[in-house]
Amino acid sequence: MIFVTVGNHFQGFERLLEKVDEIAPRLPHEIVVQKGYSKYVPKNTKHFDFVPSNTALDYIRNSDLVVSHAGMGTIILCREHGIPILIFPRREKFGEHVNDHQLEIAQVLEKRGDPNTYIVYEEDQLEEKIIEAAGKKEIVQLENKGKESLIRTIKEFIEAFQG
Amino acid sequence: MKRNQKIGLICSHGGHFVELLQVREAFDGYPAFLLTYKEVSTLNQKNAYYIANIGKNPVAFIFGVFKIFFILLKERPTVLFSTGSEIAIPPFYFGKFLFGTKLIYLESCAQIFRPSMTGKWVYPITDLFLVQWEPLLKEYGSKAKYVGGLV
Repeated sequence: MIFVTVGNHFQGFERLLEKVDEIAPRLPHEIVVQKGYSKYVPKNTKHFDFVPSNTALDYIRNSDLVVSHAGMGTIILCREHGIPILIFPRREKFGEHVNDHQLEIAQVLEKRGDPNTYIVYEEDQLEEKIIEAAGKKEIVQLENKGKESLIRTIKEFIEAFQG
Repeated sequence: MKRNQKIGLICSHGGHFVELLQVREAFDGYPAFLLTYKEVSTLNQKNAYYIANIGKNPVAFIFGVFKIFFILLKERPTVLFSTGSEIAIPPFYFGKFLFGTKLIYLESCAQIFRPSMTGKWVYPITDLFLVQWEPLLKEYGSKAKYVGGLV
């Protein structure tokens, strides 16, 4: 299964949904779309607007590939569970977000070259990249030292003023 | 030994909510409550207070601020922790100036080069201010700390 998700942002992400709907009949995978506040209603795939976080996590964990806007929630969960993610950032110029921080996130992650992380900037490259990425599902569990440091720092801070 | 602390965990929905759950275990062993937006994606959480999105309109903002005040009055947290976004601003100011609460803020990992609006609001009053990308340190000030990020 390929899970396509655009998160909770109040603006729609029509470019991604329209392209996914166009290529869906040509893909061998079942496709499920979380469309959020987008207006476009997919004709060729299963879709819903929002689900509780644990249901979204179930979709992610059962996916061969997650195709997502550059939303941190989805990126974090894919990394945590070793699921391949293809990131297609929302752009300000198309009215998909209030600024271009998603583009910055995509560029930084691309530069870092994490395993299992695919970045696409133009919608006409989506089909090729989705086929490539979904074809080689490989669970890559990354260690998360940053998370451990954050937890330790917060814990120590609270303990320090316990008295 | 874990004495007399009570933790208020505050976040909006979406990535902020995911980030908060990622570091939730830092508060294991302490009594805690969650304050978040009432959205499909945040449903079914334990010890949770839900408010309508205060960023949407002035009426929701005023109602939300009152509700937040009464939640703090009832719960009397000693520590407030937030991963953003704007839902953190009223409780942080109430906590700081009315309840003597310690404040911990974790800037979202979506902020790489530019501070968030919420981060700028709460930075001056926050006791432990964490950013998840190094370039952001110089955008805030000497109080900001970088020890790593969730991605």
